[in-house]
Amino acid sequence: MPPEFSIRSDSVDVDEIMTQIRARIREKRGVDYTEEELRQLAAVKLEKFLDPTRVRSDLISHYRRLREPGGAADTPPENYAFDDHLVYGSARGGSGAIITRVRRLLNPVLKLFFNPNPIIQVLNRQSAINAYYREEFDRTAALNYELIHNLVLEVTRLGIEVKNLKMRMESLSGRLDFSDRRARALESVVQYRPGSGPAAEPAEAADAPVAAAGRAARRDGGAARREVDAVRREGDAAAPGGPIKGEAQRARRRRRRRGRSGAAGQPDQGGGEPGSQADEAESGAGAHGAGGGAGDSLPFDSREPGPAGQPAPGPGDLTDQ
Amino acid sequence: MKLAVVVQRYGLDINGGAELHARYVAEQLARRAEVDVLTTCARDYITWRNELPAGESQVNGLRVRRFPVRRERDPRRFGRRSHHVFGSAHSLADELAWLDSEGPASTALVDFIRRHERGYDYFIFFSFRYYHAYHGIRAAAPRALLVPTAERDGAVGLALFAPIFRGVRALMYNSFEERAMIQAAAGNDAVPNVVVGVGSEVPASTDPERFRRKYGIASPFIVYVGRIDENKGCKELFSHFDRYTRAVRGELSLVLMGNAVLPVPDHPRIRHLGFVGDDDKFDGIAASEALVMPSYFESLSMVALEAWALGRPVLANGRCDVLQGQCLRSNAGLFYEGDVEFIETLALIQSNRRLASALGRNGREYFQRHYTWPVIVRRYLDMFERLRAEDQGGAAPAPMEPLPGWFARRRAVCRAGDEVVRELPAGPALRSGRRR
Repeated sequence: MPPEFSIRSDSVDVDEIMTQIRARIREKRGVDYTEEELRQLAAVKLEKFLDPTRVRSDLISHYRRLREPGGAADTPPENYAFDDHLVYGSARGGSGAIITRVRRLLNPVLKLFFNPNPIIQVLNRQSAINAYYREEFDRTAALNYELIHNLVLEVTRLGIEVKNLKMRMESLSGRLDFSDRRARALESVVQYRPGSGPAAEPAEAADAPVAAAGRAARRDGGAARREVDAVRREGDAAAPGGPIKGEAQRARRRRRRRGRSGAAGQPDQGGGEPGSQADEAESGAGAHGAGGGAGDSLPFDSREPGPAGQPAPGPGDLTDQ
Repeated sequence: MKLAVVVQRYGLDINGGAELHARYVAEQLARRAEVDVLTTCARDYITWRNELPAGESQVNGLRVRRFPVRRERDPRRFGRRSHHVFGSAHSLADELAWLDSEGPASTALVDFIRRHERGYDYFIFFSFRYYHAYHGIRAAAPRALLVPTAERDGAVGLALFAPIFRGVRALMYNSFEERAMIQAAAGNDAVPNVVVGVGSEVPASTDPERFRRKYGIASPFIVYVGRIDENKGCKELFSHFDRYTRAVRGELSLVLMGNAVLPVPDHPRIRHLGFVGDDDKFDGIAASEALVMPSYFESLSMVALEAWALGRPVLANGRCDVLQGQCLRSNAGLFYEGDVEFIETLALIQSNRRLASALGRNGREYFQRHYTWPVIVRRYLDMFERLRAEDQGGAAPAPMEPLPGWFARRRAVCRAGDEVVRELPAGPALRSGRRR
């Protein structure tokens, strides 16, 4: 006879996969709170929502009575278990059995007058219907309680999530404001008085090697970056005046920022290596030259509108924030 | 060897699960033995109206003997009696009256079996719950094999069937879950039995691209094959899939094949093709990401086996013990109990190609090992051999328990069928009846 079914030990184990899926679902559901904690929170809310002094309803007391062991507000009368034995039977002990027999024997005579069977069947059915509705009522009441409880549980869970998200949003908003202010501050570090700014040529001449080294920095990493710094220092020395000084300040700030972001070490959601975007922006700054400083060296994602998109500060606005 | 397959309805246009199962088995066994089919003149399983002519006829080369049904079913009376025997304490006479009202009450068929008991080596009865099987098995118990095709409903808990399960010569189960349920209800562990199921005629090659071109389906899809009915879990499927589309990005759609009893929702990613032929069915399954089987009650899902035969994974309703057991035994399908699990499992199948192909591979192997026709036929023949050896060895089969006397039958001592079934062990049976 061919073998009966057997469980194959293959690379795929459905039981194991299902266990993992269910564990993952449980994990997702209880991110911050355990199920027990959530239930406790929900119970508190339930009391609050269904406070009989505040809500014109006796729902909570009703449910409480139902939840108490053996507790029901008004105990309904006991259902009458009806069958044909009750019609013919007798409770008189030994003689009862004889009476029952005699009644059954006389049943055909009784049937000459009327047929008791439909009555027995109807009463039997009515008894079953009563039992059914009683059971249904009990079940529905318990179900209602569970339903309300679960709804409150979900509302509590959602409330907590909303609160968390609000806090997170506020935090992000604060950070965004701060970044915005810092960006504007950096942009306004270098300001030109009309007519008093340096000639573009020396600046471009000073930045040309920076741009070349920036490209090298992208290729060669840290060593090339050091080379960029050296070239910039040379540039600072070679080209005196406001813009060059401002460039040196920006470079120092960039180095400080790099140091800070390196310490934080958090990759952004765009993926890639930490700091790679900053490098790119930095080298881009070199490549674009010193065209006023806007758009260079700020760690914005290329997809987001950077400071370049903001209105450029007008000449004479010498405000450092 | 001369065999008789006894089933409530029979014909090429009759596609009920048990009836199709009976026809396939009869046609396959006819290659190895002389097979007659004994059935009724009915086509409609609701009324059992005599629509086909009584007497002998040929269906796919098999001799079919049809017997008239004495009376049509009265749905109201049947409903009333069903409510009584499934829902409250009752007598054996009530159960017999219920069986009589369920039908198909063909006394001519039962008389024929009684008269010709010695004319056949074995009778293979299909569907334990009908009149023909109960009375037919009592008429020819020493030669009776039963394919119960039992689902988890109140009929299994009725007292009149327990002696039948204990008194037949052998039982051919569809699944381990069915066997565990019947053995728990009837205590018939000693009766020879085997889990055998049914095979399927799956084409050697399919053309998924032809299906996609024909129906203009370019995106990936999962497929449901069968009657679109609330009883088959389709309403729940629609709801789960709608949530899936909102939770998971992508363009996966749901393709439905089969007649709709339930309105199909107007959803941009649900496509209903209506009833399709076998070619489209198999090509469609082959083109799909997975077959979804949302039914709660299955004794054996043939379409799930077909999907496995074509190397496609199955996503099944885990609340159906049989389907969950099949997925676990085959390592070829995932299952869900609720919308969250549906979303997770479907997303996993769709996103993890290696897993999907490994499930499909396991399914194909599972089908090849257990559900190809040579394997199925071999199991039947082995069972006949075993019974023959027992007969020749002089081991007399246990006699069928007689019906109680007139008074005893009228005592209201039988428990409600539903209540009995509720107490039976549940869950998938992993192997040899062991449950999880």
